[in-house]
Amino acid sequence: MLRKKVPRLLQVFKRTSHCDRQQYDVIVVGGGHAGTEAAAAAARVGARTLLVTQKIQTIGALSCNPSLGGIGKGHLVKEVDALDGVCGRAGDWAGIHFSILNRRKGPAVWGPRAQLDRQLYREFIQSDLLSTPRLTVWEGSVEELMVEEPNPEKPGRHQVTGIRLANMETPISARSVVLTTGTFLSGSLFVGQTSSPGGRIGDAPSSAGLSHTIRERLGLRTGRLRTGTPPRVVKNSVDVSLAKLHPADLNPTPFSFINTQTRCKPEEQLPCYLTFTTPAVERVVRENLHLNCHIQQDTKGPRYCPSIESRVLRFPGRQHQVWLEPEGLTSDLLYPQGLSTTMPPDVQLRLLREIPALHKAEIHTPGYGVQYDFVCPTQLSPALQVKSTQGLFLAGQINGTTGYEEAAAQGLVAGLNAARSALAMPTVMLSRTESYIGVLIDDLVSRGVTEPYRMFTSRAEFRASLRPDNADLRLTLKGFEELGCVSSERYKEAVRVRDTLQDAMAALQSLSALPHIWKQKLPNIEISENKSGELTCMNLLLYNDVTIEMLASVFPESLSPYMEFSQRLKIEAVYRPHCDLQKREMARIQREETMLLPEDLDYFSLPVSLSQEVREILDRVRPTTLGAATRLEGMTPAATVNLLNYVRFSNRKVSKIHQKETDPKKAGEEEDLHVRNASLRQ
Amino acid sequence: MKSCRHSSSLDGASVGMADADTIFALSSGHGRCGVAVVRVSGPASPTALSCMAGFRRGLMPPPRTAVLRSITDPHSNEVLDRGLVLWFPGPHSFSGEDSVEFHIHGGPAVITSVLQALGSVPGVRPAEAGEFTRRAFQAGKLDLTEVEGLGDLIHAETEAQRRQALRQMSGDLGRLYQAWSHRMKRCLAHVEAFIDFSEDELIDDGILTEVDRTVAQLQAEMEQHLKDERRGERLRTGVQVVIAGATNAGKSSLLNTLCQRPAAIVSPIPGTTRDVVDTALDIGGFPVLLSDTAGLRDSSDLVEREGIRRAVERLEQADLTLMVVDCSHIPADVQPAASFLREHLHKLMPSDQCLLVLNKTDLIADSQREKLAVGLQSVPGLPPFCLISCQTHQGLTDFLTALHSRVKTLCGNPLSGSPTLTQARHRTHLQRSVAALAQYQRYRDADLALAAEGVRLALTCLGRITGRVGAEEILDIIFKDFCIGK
Repeated sequence: MLRKKVPRLLQVFKRTSHCDRQQYDVIVVGGGHAGTEAAAAAARVGARTLLVTQKIQTIGALSCNPSLGGIGKGHLVKEVDALDGVCGRAGDWAGIHFSILNRRKGPAVWGPRAQLDRQLYREFIQSDLLSTPRLTVWEGSVEELMVEEPNPEKPGRHQVTGIRLANMETPISARSVVLTTGTFLSGSLFVGQTSSPGGRIGDAPSSAGLSHTIRERLGLRTGRLRTGTPPRVVKNSVDVSLAKLHPADLNPTPFSFINTQTRCKPEEQLPCYLTFTTPAVERVVRENLHLNCHIQQDTKGPRYCPSIESRVLRFPGRQHQVWLEPEGLTSDLLYPQGLSTTMPPDVQLRLLREIPALHKAEIHTPGYGVQYDFVCPTQLSPALQVKSTQGLFLAGQINGTTGYEEAAAQGLVAGLNAARSALAMPTVMLSRTESYIGVLIDDLVSRGVTEPYRMFTSRAEFRASLRPDNADLRLTLKGFEELGCVSSERYKEAVRVRDTLQDAMAALQSLSALPHIWKQKLPNIEISENKSGELTCMNLLLYNDVTIEMLASVFPESLSPYMEFSQRLKIEAVYRPHCDLQKREMARIQREETMLLPEDLDYFSLPVSLSQEVREILDRVRPTTLGAATRLEGMTPAATVNLLNYVRFSNRKVSKIHQKETDPKKAGEEEDLHVRNASLRQ
Repeated sequence: MKSCRHSSSLDGASVGMADADTIFALSSGHGRCGVAVVRVSGPASPTALSCMAGFRRGLMPPPRTAVLRSITDPHSNEVLDRGLVLWFPGPHSFSGEDSVEFHIHGGPAVITSVLQALGSVPGVRPAEAGEFTRRAFQAGKLDLTEVEGLGDLIHAETEAQRRQALRQMSGDLGRLYQAWSHRMKRCLAHVEAFIDFSEDELIDDGILTEVDRTVAQLQAEMEQHLKDERRGERLRTGVQVVIAGATNAGKSSLLNTLCQRPAAIVSPIPGTTRDVVDTALDIGGFPVLLSDTAGLRDSSDLVEREGIRRAVERLEQADLTLMVVDCSHIPADVQPAASFLREHLHKLMPSDQCLLVLNKTDLIADSQREKLAVGLQSVPGLPPFCLISCQTHQGLTDFLTALHSRVKTLCGNPLSGSPTLTQARHRTHLQRSVAALAQYQRYRDADLALAAEGVRLALTCLGRITGRVGAEEILDIIFKDFCIGK
């Protein structure tokens, strides 16, 4: 059942905003997709958490497209949900058009996606945060971070101890601070030839003090990125009969593992429409390029084409797709996905009207571009903590990513670790062998970004294993047992799912019959006759057309208890041999990731044989683990071995000290275990 | 009714250390050896022994005891050699794993056939540089001094393997592999683009038909190549020693002195040698391929420039460089002489294995020669050097002794100058690459993600020959070929 949420908003916020407690475990700055997941995760872990945002009513706002999920991004939503995050449930509540993309291309790359009702999404997020215990929400603008001398026991040059709000003398202190300021860090908005400070249209710019603290006081390296959004079009000015109707799936599939249905009924879903640009659109863009400073400033744009300007300039003479997406059940606007532009408003209108379905279109809000600072993410640990600054965590666009799902995924990890760090628990990381979240964070912290980072399934080397269908088995169990961010109800359900699937797989492996019997029972399936011996149900499932339902008709008693999971079982059976092949490589990476490289290592004076080139690479990136080091470009096998020897050696020293203090025998064993666990890259 | 113990593989998390690959390598040197030793290590070692030395499954020879057997190809059952085999059940072996040794006759044909036969045993592949030692290290079989030398050892082996691969890759074969890699990359990029973007962006279904065609072509070409008994180029065996230096330093004279016949034309005119002159030699019983190269200088002559390009290419592939310097050009005092030589070396950049040959001692006074011989000994950062005169043969004996000892050390390393091993490695990787392409065909219609997995795997295998391909490189091709919006 979908959990009902009653929006009971402002009075509660008002009550909490009068709260005069000035000390928290975790403060989260920003109420976007990263901030809300960070605040919720921190509170779930058990931290007294404060979320500070400029405007409470924009918490959970969808600044850009009204949709969630997609290919690769859907994987992230499922994983955030598996860790008990908010966005999957919010999507199920606010979705008005559900579809599984890539349905015909294999379950590993299915892309669960939904068009959302903006208002419903915002309401759900706000109401969910309000009912989260230990979480307080304040409205305010952060003036600066409180920075002090570091705790000498830990690595780092500074320590963040809290924040100071504008118009407030006394700082609010916290053990951890999570910054999720999105595009607001030195943000500028662009329309045509005009620009103004800000991170989103209609909102005040963030304080210059914050940027100053980050760059000057903490000395963090920053870069500049740009993004943009299309004009919003008045719905009844669009002639949808000239566009191609794109209906939703007949049966909406919820994002969340705890939902069996979506709030929107199948028949109430709204359609999308597909239309195309014309040669005239290209002409309008070319004729007005001189009126567009956002594009002209583009010296090193992304490899993909976020705006209609870059689309027609880079791929001239082609038709480009434009999706017309609903903005909500009661909204009278449409979102023209694919028409992101920073042309002057009158040119935007002319451009729009060159598309047949939009020939009479009226613009409600013009499109605009945003340029903003991001913090080079190689300065972060895999826990999303700033390596040089104790107590400071970053998530979302501030780390150079784009997309709601990418932001939510980082928010969850940053909030989780901010809380763990505040509560004196060790920080944790997700490996790229177990999740897309791990792929995302590992790519960010070990490779950095040169363009807004977006998730694609092609980035995941273990794609066959990291599927949307098994995110709960990959993460929910670990989320409860090791990370502490999953509720016990969710955990119990995941355990039940795991056990049932295991029993079912055992049953499928044990039920078998001779080929001619199978042929009799399933006459429509072409079973190769030259197979000698019995064929198990598992063997049969490898045939494309064989479903669990068919097998259950042959073995009704043994298989009927598992029908609830018929689709998951079919996927498991087909993918298992491929996943087994990936296990060894995954185990190797996981072993290397357990070998930590000290954060304050001086690579230039390290007394091991490393080339100057390798030393420079290591010093620049400062990988956190041996695993991350081996993935760096320019690392040689020999350098890896020498580094491993050093890690082993320094651990030996530590354990020798340890040995003197405690039981000598035990310390010796630990060291021995460490050596045996040592693994090397080929 | 069969029962199956259910593993925790549904957890998605690690199930601990899975079985490692089984690896093999030629572990004896080459040259003056009648017997070659091929080592196999890993869980499939007993399989390799039983199917190549005719032991029935489960009936292994007594551990650590040499047994004389016929060694056969597991597929054709053709007898490849008669030799000794030894079985070392783990952990009582060099690597700590189950291991097998084949002691076979030392001829290149026999070695090649045994290595290739091993590579065709399921689960068995050629070892990467330093892999045997690493496994021994992981099993705790190395003492601390050995461990500390591990990085250097792996460096040496990687370098030797790199040079060996470079030699084979610089010819037609290399171009063929690179072309395959290029086409496979495009195939993968297009499949990945179709998976990641075709639902939202305009990507024509036709690109998959194109990929189908290219994959089928690649499969056919690679299979044909593997079947081709001529195997392309004749492989150059022996330690590669390259003579290099400035023009008119006496490189060709050195070549002629070493091979005791006028193999190369010598003249007092700078730039006489314009192409690489190769001569196969036997130095103290070790096979050496000696190459004389064009003198390195800036030249406007087209033919000479090409000669210099070839010289530089050969230098990069050299196991040992003989850097020839005209000692009458060296400053008289030791310190300036040392700086002169250092600068000279820096400019010509030979490989780290280098012997400095200070030629034309007949042109300088005996006292000056003595001064250099003694003075340069104590200069740090200079490679070993010899003072000789190709004209009068003064110092030649000492030079030959030094050269012999260097060649001997290089031959002790089974990787240097052994194209058979590289060839076996390439063969295994190509076979796996072709097999992975079949996975694309198998899943093409049912599951594009698993089909793409086949191309990914094929490219990884081929990449072990031509260089690793990362996700970013694939994305580069995608964004170049398709218009991808936000």
